[in-house]
Amino acid sequence: MKIKRSMVLVSSDPHSLDKGAEAVYQRFSEELKAFDLSDEISLSKISDMERSDVAPFVIVYPEATVYGPVTPDDVHFLVEEHLFKGRIATRLQAPTKELTGKIAWLSARSGTLPAEQRIVLERAGVIDPDSIEDYIVHDGYQALGKVLTGMSPTDVIELLKQSGLKGRGGAGFPTGSKWQFVAGTKSEKKYVICNADESEPGTFKDRLILEGDPHSIIEAMTIAAYAVGADEGYLYIRGEYALAQARLLKAILQAKQMGFLGENIFNSGFNFELHVHGGAGAYVCGEETALIESIEGKRGEPRPRPPYPTTNGLWDKPTLVNNVETLANVPPIIRNGAAWFKSFGTPTSPGTKVYTIMGNVNLTGLIEVPMGITLREVITIYARGMKDGKQLKLAQTGGSSGSIIPARLQDTPMDYDSYAKAGVSMGSGALLICNEDTCVVDLAKVLLNFFRFESCGKCNPCRIGNQRAFQILTNISEGLGSMNDIDALQDISKWLFEMSNCGLGQTAGSPIKDILNHFREEVEAHIQQKECPAGVCAMSGKSTQTV
Amino acid sequence: MVNLTIDGKTIEVKEGTTVLNAARANGVEIPTLCDHPQLTPYGGCRLCLVEVEGARTLQPSCTLPVNNNMVVHTDSEKVREARKFVLTMIFSERNHFCPYCQVSGGDCELQNAAYDEGMTHWPLQPNWKPFPVDASHPYIIMEHNRCILCRRCVRACGELVGNFTLGFEERGADSALVADLGLPLGESSCIGCGTCVQICPTGALIDRWSAYQGKETDVEITKTICQGCSVGCGIEVLTRDNRLVRIEGDWDAEINGGVLCDVGRFEPKTDERERVLTPMLRKDGALKAATWEDALAVISSKMKSSNGKAAAIASTRLSLEAMDAFNQVCRAAGIQSVFSSEESLPTAAAWKIAEKVGKPFESKLDALKQADCYLLIGEDLTKDHQVLSFFMKRNLPAGASLIHVGSADSGFKNYANVILPVAAGKEAEFLGDLKTLLNGGDSKATAAKYGLNEEYLAESVKLMKSAAKPAIVLGSRYDYKQPVETCQAALDIANAMKAIFISSKGGANSLAAAQMGMDDAIDLTGAEMVILAAADDKFSQTFMKKFEKVPFLVVFSSYVSPLTASADVVLPVRNWLEQDGHFVNLEGRLLSAKAALEAPQDVLSTFEALEKLAAGMNVKLASTWKDALKTTSAVMVD
Repeated sequence: MKIKRSMVLVSSDPHSLDKGAEAVYQRFSEELKAFDLSDEISLSKISDMERSDVAPFVIVYPEATVYGPVTPDDVHFLVEEHLFKGRIATRLQAPTKELTGKIAWLSARSGTLPAEQRIVLERAGVIDPDSIEDYIVHDGYQALGKVLTGMSPTDVIELLKQSGLKGRGGAGFPTGSKWQFVAGTKSEKKYVICNADESEPGTFKDRLILEGDPHSIIEAMTIAAYAVGADEGYLYIRGEYALAQARLLKAILQAKQMGFLGENIFNSGFNFELHVHGGAGAYVCGEETALIESIEGKRGEPRPRPPYPTTNGLWDKPTLVNNVETLANVPPIIRNGAAWFKSFGTPTSPGTKVYTIMGNVNLTGLIEVPMGITLREVITIYARGMKDGKQLKLAQTGGSSGSIIPARLQDTPMDYDSYAKAGVSMGSGALLICNEDTCVVDLAKVLLNFFRFESCGKCNPCRIGNQRAFQILTNISEGLGSMNDIDALQDISKWLFEMSNCGLGQTAGSPIKDILNHFREEVEAHIQQKECPAGVCAMSGKSTQTV
Repeated sequence: MVNLTIDGKTIEVKEGTTVLNAARANGVEIPTLCDHPQLTPYGGCRLCLVEVEGARTLQPSCTLPVNNNMVVHTDSEKVREARKFVLTMIFSERNHFCPYCQVSGGDCELQNAAYDEGMTHWPLQPNWKPFPVDASHPYIIMEHNRCILCRRCVRACGELVGNFTLGFEERGADSALVADLGLPLGESSCIGCGTCVQICPTGALIDRWSAYQGKETDVEITKTICQGCSVGCGIEVLTRDNRLVRIEGDWDAEINGGVLCDVGRFEPKTDERERVLTPMLRKDGALKAATWEDALAVISSKMKSSNGKAAAIASTRLSLEAMDAFNQVCRAAGIQSVFSSEESLPTAAAWKIAEKVGKPFESKLDALKQADCYLLIGEDLTKDHQVLSFFMKRNLPAGASLIHVGSADSGFKNYANVILPVAAGKEAEFLGDLKTLLNGGDSKATAAKYGLNEEYLAESVKLMKSAAKPAIVLGSRYDYKQPVETCQAALDIANAMKAIFISSKGGANSLAAAQMGMDDAIDLTGAEMVILAAADDKFSQTFMKKFEKVPFLVVFSSYVSPLTASADVVLPVRNWLEQDGHFVNLEGRLLSAKAALEAPQDVLSTFEALEKLAAGMNVKLASTWKDALKTTSAVMVD
């Protein structure tokens, strides 16, 4: 193996590809040849949305200099300046994301990358996702080796329980306990499913892990299968994530060739077969029982529970379903131990959380930080403050099914316990930051429109309730509301929670509940004064009902 | 056993029971819409929600299994409010004008539920978007405006009929019932069995004849059996003012459990044949109305004068009583050639083998419902004996396999794992070779011998060998050259595999006809007169051609046909809905049919007509039909 003195990484996430990253990569390949540098400098693609503000971008290691946005015409200059002459081409350097203030205690990474604590995204953006060798060099498959050669399934589950890892899909269920349930159910056949149907609007954390570090999920699923006694697994990947599907399919092939998947892994006698199953665009298939129905080839409708998937899951067999981010935490925990994991985050919510930041802030994107950070810190430090100096009015946490919280809750630590105490849902980690120009009626209308469309249609309260609530909100936004509508909305919200079959319906009413809790006056202004304080709603006085 | 408390009452039920069934078994009523006793619980409508102490939210009683020490409240303030909310939601979704609907008394479960909850108005503004009405089907109308999206029809189509025509398209507020992938019902894969119509709680799936034809509280219901084929499905006949309103499958019937095919459910409503209403005699070349006395006198004198040179043929739709009387009258008049209208169909073959073996060898239908691999020989059960195909098709999704030795264009082509098109007349030989293959023969040579695809044949053998509960089903209505040999070969496979064996027989009473010795091929040579007890049977052109050269033809018939037109004497008899009687179905079960309608004046049952004829001939009829059934039957008569 030749020693490379430098490494060039070209961004290749869909956003970058859209902006011409492929041509930049091609040009690098040509220019490196032209300068006769091919033997000294490695060139690979990375998947990292974090600097989407400067896509397509290029990172040069070991200096970790970020250039962007880069056009194919810049490449000759870059190769000549940085790689041939050894001078940083400051003219093309991306603006730095700086760290200030309260989170100086976070372990800063070198170069110009922002200070985060990366566990699940440790390799994303560093390694070539299409290269299993890269993964192995970066501690890949070490945890699997450790498990298969020296740990019993009980040891693995015990370690996970000690680590205090909780499910990162939204509900925050203790992962170790879930594994124990499946392990404890007697059956000749069991399945492990990775829920990668990430469909919560504004959430793309799982995609980054899948696209940037596909082998970490394969390794984690194999460990999970060993721990619970399964020999077959499914990666249910959202239909729109074509790149993630392609990378996982390729990674599975590589892992099989190297003996990390398939029969007799690490000569331990343990077998594990892994399939990729593409979703078909339904939000509800992120609900684990609907996901299972979908894999079985049926219409994606959640099942009644009990029975739970841990006893009667895929093809009626005991099934472990874990979210991508949850699984990505497993190999690091195995490698470094429970105490190490607990050194991050808060005592009851250890570890990190990946957040996706959107809305009226200066910098949107994705961060991985320890549990317990506050919304104010996220906005001021990572998002570099509110856009145009406006005020924070509210934030929506956890995607559509999460919570709408007013600005006064922005100092609540973001961890499972503190949020539960405040009646707020952590959800998937999406953070939609809204300024004073946001109308809560409009926001709720948009969310209910989403739910009426994404409800599977199985149970009455959800299928019809969301439709009715959307229509009532539409009426209010057109100045046609009455005070009775508020009662009707409250009723629908209450019964949606009480009566719905699955989490989708149970949480679909929360935007209504939240805006009436925190912004009731604003809703009443729409009805009584016939005006939208934020100036967003049309208030046309005309009915726009179509359905 | 599990102990729980429902509304303060401590009860004990079996583990695995749902809260709904536990409540119902103990006299606590919980309203439901999407639930149906014959279907897998779904939990869609949420009308059956109950309060369970300790649970985070209300729980659907239809899907919730009981737990020890569970405390359930079915009539709390919260539960009652929840029910009202569910109904409010449903009323706001589509066009349900229940408060004004006068025509559906008792059969609309949505209206009933609304009355039960004391609903008087729409609490939410109904936002009715007009939905289409699909009237493309010859029997069924799909009225989307009345649909409450409960999926009973979808589940019935899949779980009970195994046809999987109905499904749902889109999701959320746009969810809608569809046939196949959005075809008009009349152009879809629907087989018109009407189970969806019967199970629909509202008026979303209705038949063309009985919907909006008055209240269901205003009908008479007669429980009887369908006489369309030898399965003998239990039915309920709904009549009003001596008119047939509709026929429904009897949910409590052991044989069919509520399902029916189009022959049993809809064909009686579409029967447009003209009735024979009076006895007729041929005078001067033309048929003229006559009295029973005159007509019967002509027949008995002709029977005497033909001196045994006569033949008699009975339809297999005759009741056991009529069939037995027919035999007695004919034999008394010296007629040796008494046939059934089915002549030498394999019904007789199974019977002949049973007689030789001296013991029963066929299984009950319940065994067919439990099997996991079907080898079906001959008959296309999607056309005949359809309910048998439902029993088979509904097991396919759970992994049962189906191998059809029959036409490549079989109605099973979308369901069967393998179709093996063996040429007519080669069945017996092929089954013999198949048995050898099951013991490890050369599938290549066998495939070549019968012109079959070798892979398919090998797959068939694999499927049969891997089955835990295989079933061999021998059809009856196909072109046999060697019925007995084919039946024997099929039985040999069944014995070798320890598989269950069922032959589908023919008409309603064809097993009995075979047992009464009427199973020879019809031979009318030298017959000076022929008596045909046709009853309400429909005959093929080929069959009717046999009678063209008969010198003197007597026909007992409910309907006018080319046969009655060429007959010398025609006697008007009742159809199947107008008379009592007994039948033996294909599994040898004795079934009793009850009259649901009164016959027109002057029209007698075939049995009564035969009684009159016997009296005129001084023949004393004995009630011997039970003795006439032989107990060493292919299957045992209970």
